Amino acid sequence: MAAPRILVAEDEGLAAMALEDELLREGYAVTLAPDGLAALEAAAQEPPDLLLTDLRMPRLDGSALIRALRAARPDLPVVVMTGYAPAGGAAAFAADGEAPISLFAKPLDMDAVLAELRKLLNRP
Amino acid sequence: MNPFNQLLPEGPQLQPGLCTLVDADIAYIHLISDIATGLAYFSIPAALLVFVLRRRDLAYPWVFGLFAMFIIACGATHLMHAWTLFSPDYVTEALIKLICAAVSVTTAIVLWPLLPRLLALPSPGALAREVEERRAAEARALASEARVTAFIDNLAEALFVIRINGADDFVVETVNPAFERLFGLRGADIAQRPVAEVIAPHLLAAAMPHWQQALETRRPVEYVMDAETMLGPRIWQTVLVPMTGADGTVESLLGSARDITLTRRLQADLLQSARLATVGTMCAGLAHETSQPLNAATLWLRNARAAAAELGPADPAARLGTALGVIDSQLRRAGDLVARIRALPGAESGAAQVFDAARCAAAAVRTAAGQYAPERIDVVLRSDVASLPVQGVPARLEQALLQLLSNARDAVQDRRLRDPDAAAEILVTLAEDGGEAVIEVRDNGTGVPDALRDVIFDPFFTTRDPGRGSGLGLPLAAAIARAMGGRIDVHNLPDGGAVFTMRLALAQPQDRIDQPETVPC
Repeated sequence: MAAPRILVAEDEGLAAMALEDELLREGYAVTLAPDGLAALEAAAQEPPDLLLTDLRMPRLDGSALIRALRAARPDLPVVVMTGYAPAGGAAAFAADGEAPISLFAKPLDMDAVLAELRKLLNRP
Repeated sequence: MNPFNQLLPEGPQLQPGLCTLVDADIAYIHLISDIATGLAYFSIPAALLVFVLRRRDLAYPWVFGLFAMFIIACGATHLMHAWTLFSPDYVTEALIKLICAAVSVTTAIVLWPLLPRLLALPSPGALAREVEERRAAEARALASEARVTAFIDNLAEALFVIRINGADDFVVETVNPAFERLFGLRGADIAQRPVAEVIAPHLLAAAMPHWQQALETRRPVEYVMDAETMLGPRIWQTVLVPMTGADGTVESLLGSARDITLTRRLQADLLQSARLATVGTMCAGLAHETSQPLNAATLWLRNARAAAAELGPADPAARLGTALGVIDSQLRRAGDLVARIRALPGAESGAAQVFDAARCAAAAVRTAAGQYAPERIDVVLRSDVASLPVQGVPARLEQALLQLLSNARDAVQDRRLRDPDAAAEILVTLAEDGGEAVIEVRDNGTGVPDALRDVIFDPFFTTRDPGRGSGLGLPLAAAIARAMGGRIDVHNLPDGGAVFTMRLALAQPQDRIDQPETVPC
């Protein structure tokens, strides 16, 4: 069975590189995108199993990216990493009938994030 | 020869007094008329006498005496005339006539010069008109006084009059209902009593310099007082007008006080909102921008630790591990700070629900009481209400209350540094007031200096030593209260210590029904 693919949308290059390292070590396939628009293009080329995204990004921000991807795939699991949580928390992104969204504040507690990823992707 | 004798008829001699009358019928008419006129003339002065005796306020009472004498004299001539019909006592009659003439002439002479003066006296009609006018004026005055009284009674401003009997002898003369409402004192209880007996010492001490100034300068004085009254903390603006007597000394002070507590609170809230809006935007930006480098550094630290773990247990690797551990803990500390800053602007994490603030307060008091017991600090909860349904996030409210309790604990500990034997008590009271849940945290610590009262809710303001307290506790508590449609005010107690009052909007009844009441805090 192929490794689950995680699409990482993060405009901070250094953080994105560290994340990629962590995810690869966990055995995931990783696609990096420096902003929302690049993430949309990457998703079109290779559909991800999970979106791990920042909120504030150039060109297309995280909220718009989530809406665009979930329009096509309402069950796409999403994990948000943000320096500033929106009012209402994760519920602010979710529409009725969609898969839940997890919210993590930066700086990330990576162990907690990895545990959440395993849960969402049903990995031991 | 007497010419009258020719008139006499021939025949029997008549009685001496009737000699001039030839007809007996005419003689009787004379007799009866004179007696009747004489008696009537005697009765009229009696009526005049009664009138004069009853009406002591007559303008010229002697005129009535003169009239009485005149009428009696005239009456006497008539009676005398009747008498002479039977007895020819003409000398006496002549004397009486002489007296009558004298009195009549005197009266006639006196009357004419008196006439203009009598005419000048107001007639009963004029008097009645004047009386009517005066009554109308009096009614107007009464109505006007009633209006003034109603005006003073219903005036929003508190009025008071202080009578100055001497240098230190000030007496409350009167106060209006607005005064009673503002200060919680009954006018009947304090009127005509020395000010020192009825006004709280701390209020009197604060007001007295202004009163003295008004006395010395004899000019109106305006001042603002901010103090604890019988009804709680109030701010009022007073204009004091000295009222001087004829000799120029100040006899009383007329004061009008306007309650500006709400206005001041609104101003402070507006100022605070404006400041917090700026600070909030700054905090959000700061949190976001700081979280990015912290995030990258934290992620790379994990990377470095993983690499170090592969080096083996040699010495340099252990030192590297220690160093990385230090960096890790410091990054976490910075991360915690960012999390707290992020929470400041009041953006809620977690969904709002209706819950019982009383249970939340009880939980916070339990936690604090347990924590502070070893420090010999009592935390007591007193509640006037069974429950306080509010809307928000229970855990956030508990966090805010714990923050206020922690603040109170710091205050009583500061007091202990100065006064080691001081009893340390924190009292939490719950009440409902005007559609708001009111939670008070009262300590007997050092109080909040006036100069700091406006800044203690500012983020990063702290009176603690560096490393103790981030200056985010009270701002966080205030932000939580704001997010729940409320606010936190602070004021000092007259006998030391401070009260932090958190007011939260009570949940609407329809909201309460929709929500289960058993939300745990």
